[in-house]
Amino acid sequence: MPDEIVRRGLVVQLARLGDLVQSLPAIASLNAQAKMAVLDLLCPAPLASIGSCIAGIERVLAWEVERWRLWADRWGSAREETFTEIETYLKMLIPTLYNAAFNLNQHSRSMLVAALVSRHVLGPGDHGPLTKDLPPWAGYLRGVVRNRDRNRVHLADVFCGLCGVMPPGTAPRLQLPPTNLPEDLSSIGTTEGPWVAVVVGAGDAARCVPLAIWREWIRMFLSASRGGGVVLIGSEGERERAYGIQDGMSSLSLGRLWDATGRTTLVQTAALLSHCQWVIGSDTGPLHLGTAVGARAMGFYFAQAGVHETGPYGEGHWTWQAKPTSRREASAEGREGARVDQIERWPIAESVRLIVDERAGQCDGWTLWRSYLDRWGVYQMAEGVLEDPGEPREDVWRRLHRPLSLKALSHEYV
Amino acid sequence: MSMFEKNLAVIVARDPVLATALRESRGGAFNIIAARNGQPTATVAGRALHSAYDPRREAEAWATAQAAVCRPGEVLIVLGVGLLYHIEALRARVPCDTTIGVIVPDLNELHDVCMVRVLDSWINHVEWLWSSIERVASSLAAMNAPLRFLVYAPAAALHASAHADLERLIRQHVSARVGGQVHVAVVGPIYGGSLPIAKYAAAALEQLGHRVTWIDHSLHQASYDAMTRLKDPRHRATLQSRLADLLGQLTLARVAEDPPDVVLALAQAPMTLPLLEHMRKKNFVTAMWFVENYRHLTYWQQVAAGYDHWFVIQKKPCEDALRYAGAKQVSYLPMAAAPAIHCPLPLTPEDQTTFGADVSFVGAGYANRRGLLPRLLTNEWAFKLWGNEWDGVTSLAGALQLGGARIDTDTCVKVFNGTKININLHSWTGEGLDPDGDCINPRTFELAACGAFQIVDDRTLLPDVFTEEQILTFGRPDDLAPLVRQWLSDELGRRQMADAARQRVLAEHTYDHRMRQLLTQIGVSQPDRVGAILQGERQASALMERSDAEPELIPVLAQFAPQERVELKDVALRIRKRGVSAMLSREDLLILMLDEHRMETRDLL
Repeated sequence: MPDEIVRRGLVVQLARLGDLVQSLPAIASLNAQAKMAVLDLLCPAPLASIGSCIAGIERVLAWEVERWRLWADRWGSAREETFTEIETYLKMLIPTLYNAAFNLNQHSRSMLVAALVSRHVLGPGDHGPLTKDLPPWAGYLRGVVRNRDRNRVHLADVFCGLCGVMPPGTAPRLQLPPTNLPEDLSSIGTTEGPWVAVVVGAGDAARCVPLAIWREWIRMFLSASRGGGVVLIGSEGERERAYGIQDGMSSLSLGRLWDATGRTTLVQTAALLSHCQWVIGSDTGPLHLGTAVGARAMGFYFAQAGVHETGPYGEGHWTWQAKPTSRREASAEGREGARVDQIERWPIAESVRLIVDERAGQCDGWTLWRSYLDRWGVYQMAEGVLEDPGEPREDVWRRLHRPLSLKALSHEYV
Repeated sequence: MSMFEKNLAVIVARDPVLATALRESRGGAFNIIAARNGQPTATVAGRALHSAYDPRREAEAWATAQAAVCRPGEVLIVLGVGLLYHIEALRARVPCDTTIGVIVPDLNELHDVCMVRVLDSWINHVEWLWSSIERVASSLAAMNAPLRFLVYAPAAALHASAHADLERLIRQHVSARVGGQVHVAVVGPIYGGSLPIAKYAAAALEQLGHRVTWIDHSLHQASYDAMTRLKDPRHRATLQSRLADLLGQLTLARVAEDPPDVVLALAQAPMTLPLLEHMRKKNFVTAMWFVENYRHLTYWQQVAAGYDHWFVIQKKPCEDALRYAGAKQVSYLPMAAAPAIHCPLPLTPEDQTTFGADVSFVGAGYANRRGLLPRLLTNEWAFKLWGNEWDGVTSLAGALQLGGARIDTDTCVKVFNGTKININLHSWTGEGLDPDGDCINPRTFELAACGAFQIVDDRTLLPDVFTEEQILTFGRPDDLAPLVRQWLSDELGRRQMADAARQRVLAEHTYDHRMRQLLTQIGVSQPDRVGAILQGERQASALMERSDAEPELIPVLAQFAPQERVELKDVALRIRKRGVSAMLSREDLLILMLDEHRMETRDLL
């Protein structure tokens, strides 16, 4: 009988673009393994257009943070009206409760949302929105961030664990609708290539690759690749960085360097990335977006970015991970990579060679990792690196995994 | 029947007195012409009050923008009559139970409207406030609802003075009965004359029952001074600028940890434009009391646009200059005294000997003082000079007390009390008297509060705060010594004038008064936020009374004392205190959710 009951699930992902893209495996596995009759997604309103491109998502609910801020501000002076407005909004957004909310975030807001919209919460908040106890996978994630062990389970696979499903074993792709690009950008990807999308920013300055490095990288790439082209990817706020990169570029870049920063919607950005063979940048949303539309990723990971947790998802991506600069950073602060201002040399020539000639090399201060995929999810391997791999991922899964109980959900629904 | 008569027939049904008054008015206030689309439009002295192309569409755009900011329960007061296109459009855009009042300073304008526009029945769904400004202010202040003022600028500009009077009168009425507890963060400077003013303001706010977070940057004066001693001016400027930036961040951290309703900075507080813009993004209400002469200290130009409210001690052209620089709300708020500190003080014989004199002056050695005060050196009376920066004025060396040291407030008060005639000469860097002298220094109020007799140089704004029976002024340097001579022998006259001045200060010019006026002004501008708090609408008792629609909240509210202010965070805290395993209702979850969004102010840094 349980199979006859309509099971309605809601994935709650209120973090940023990168986290939304990293949720794709969990959503794919929920559809394949949990056999939800309806699976919806709740994500921040600015990301709703990307949410709509995720296969297996029936409806995307856009969470409008600004509205909540406004209501919070107004509550004292117009409490009754505020509550009425909220209820009207919630009724339109979520007409009926879900059987299960799959909460992928650890902050209070997500736990509260999950409790509001569903009778049954999986993931953080599964024992109530005020609880401090984390489910096993969420506790693991917190431990990884603290200890930064090697060979750990990737964030996207932890999301699967939080939902009570196994990783899908493949890297899911976004299904982009037919998308018109600004006319001057429509020729990108139409010539031989390779075409490389350079993600110029990363929000926080500490996570950004310096402009001079990008200038040098592009110059070297265009020299090394006869038919290659580069497109700069970024938001409106990153246009200045794009101008800075183009400033002083030689005539070599004429007709081969395109600036798309601040000129495309998120879906258009994804379409543009899908026209490129490669996407290169630090650990950012657009880098992960690129992998989700078929581009191969070349990551520069430094500071707090760790390839084992948030490396590009899928097979065949490359990541340059900056090594810790001191014993202190390697121990007291986990295995955190060098800060951007501590990096003396960047793997510019080495990464260009990888793209143009598919030849891997070494660079002082960096480790080059290649991504692989198996039934336990994504993992990273580095040639010539002999390190304690830590607890095998298989063991981690056996230790932490609590398969989703469909009966429990059906019972809740009944 | 003419258009005028038809319109009057509509009005008379609801307000026959207004209809009669309109019939008796002459009209002719506006020059009526046809807009391009044929609708009537109006000009006054060549200035258009409505669009010359499509007055109705223009009015609709205005009304749409205004309606978007209005909240349920507010009374909307429109300044600016014109041909009423904007009123008609506004009436159509706000709920029918929203009261709209229109201030009509000149009935001839309404007469002109009736002559050229067909006024439908909507005109009877508007309150026409056409009696004297005093009566209008009184009736508006008595309303038991928040007022929101909407300005239709082209028409309102014709009566700017009347509108300013109205605002001032309403403020007076409202400030006399405000009671709620506002949380104000007072941000002081690192050092300087505005530092004691900041402390007086903070003390006054507490005295009025508000909650104050005192952000005291004077703690860092030693570091600032250490930088002053650097020889290279570039090092000095760079490091002092960085210290100011750091203290700005410290201010942010303080307000983030305990978010106030209002951030009140005093002149010279280390607040930069980016910092203020950051605060605005986080929805903080900011105000600056610029207790300096805007002509002397000009850094206001850099931060004018950053504050939501400016309070200044000068009127025009200071107010205009600030507005031109980007300030949104500028209000006149003169200096004041703190009667708990500035008060009559019986002196011991020893103190009288030390601090007393026939004639005294307290202050720093500005150029005008250096030129004028030597005229008081005479055998006819004993003259004492107190204060610093008097180097090089050899003629005054014999009168200078304490070796020209800077003197503290206690000493000031003793000098004021022990002196028969206190000279109060406003600072100026030129010779003689400041030809632009308008603002009144704090000393004027402090001397008066001490019950001390003073002679002050003439200031254009002085008649606003003291009468000739309360303060003696002089308009030319040559007049000072004769006045001293005349009043030194008139002890009774001095006493009467000083007593009258003290009574005026106690009645109208204390920091309590100023802070009440300041908060009321902010409250009037923001009826839904600070205004509602001042009206006591956030107190537990008031919330209980309005909890009919949400009975679930009554048990929560009952946990608070009736006069205790209850905010979202307080209710959320009570819910959290029930423990992690407590059963949460939907209302509980919503309150916690709202509180999570409120707490984003903590992300300020």
